[in-house]
Amino acid sequence: MNREQFIACVEREQEAVRGFLLALCCGNRDEADDLAQDALVKAYLACSGFRDGGKFRSWLFKIAHNTFLSHRRSQQPPTISIDAVPIEALPQRGSGEGASDLYLAFATLPPKERSAITLFYLNGYSIKEIAVITETSQDAVKQQLSRGREKLREKLKIEN
Amino acid sequence: MEKDKELEALFLAQKPHFDDGDEFMKKLTKRLDAVEIVKQYQERTLRRYRIVIAVAFVVGIISGAASTIWLLSSPIELPSVNFQTQKAFLLWLVQNSRLLAAAFFPMLMTFAACIITSNVLEIIEMRQKMKEEYI
Repeated sequence: MNREQFIACVEREQEAVRGFLLALCCGNRDEADDLAQDALVKAYLACSGFRDGGKFRSWLFKIAHNTFLSHRRSQQPPTISIDAVPIEALPQRGSGEGASDLYLAFATLPPKERSAITLFYLNGYSIKEIAVITETSQDAVKQQLSRGREKLREKLKIEN
Repeated sequence: MEKDKELEALFLAQKPHFDDGDEFMKKLTKRLDAVEIVKQYQERTLRRYRIVIAVAFVVGIISGAASTIWLLSSPIELPSVNFQTQKAFLLWLVQNSRLLAAAFFPMLMTFAACIITSNVLEIIEMRQKMKEEYI
């Protein structure tokens, strides 16, 4: 894949990647866009070795997910316990969709659960595909989904 | 696994829309240009490394072979070096110069080979690291 092909593919997929990272960053648009830029640069540097023609989006998501995790690791933010903090007490993001309750509830989930939930509900990936993207087993994905879902439901119900 | 319909509806309702796609792509293209410059610089450095190693290898082989030939072709009865002195250590050096040279040159060659090998390995590792870092 050459530079022109890469840019053409990214133009098609950038919204999906940015949306995925926006959800992982709980509505923080600047952070999500910075991570998306980093992930796409990494993808560009690795694109000469990309062979799997039909799964470009999954490949980008995999890189975006790894970029997000390493960014989180470098920042070491404390994961907020689901029971510890009510939604009202969570830090407020910017305006628009970032400020939604869903994102605020999302902030209480560990990054891996966040990834699994986003890929499953927002991007419509199957458990098998999520396992490939997040480089975990299908059982682990199922566990992350069920835990994340429970926590989200609980949090959103409290809000309701 | 069954999808939680409520949660799915909530997610789909929150699906973000980006109207600054062009700006994002412009920024990305600029970054890719910068990356391209760094990449070219790294490739140039790697090429230079390879040339240096090849030259060092050839020079090592030629100088090692030349000195060995000189040692073997010089007459045995004549000392290979002459310090024009009567000092015991230097006399001992003159008397054993062939033996010492025969030991020294292979050592030098081995040392050179070690350095070359380590440099080659370093380059291979560097290339692998470069690849891994970007995935």
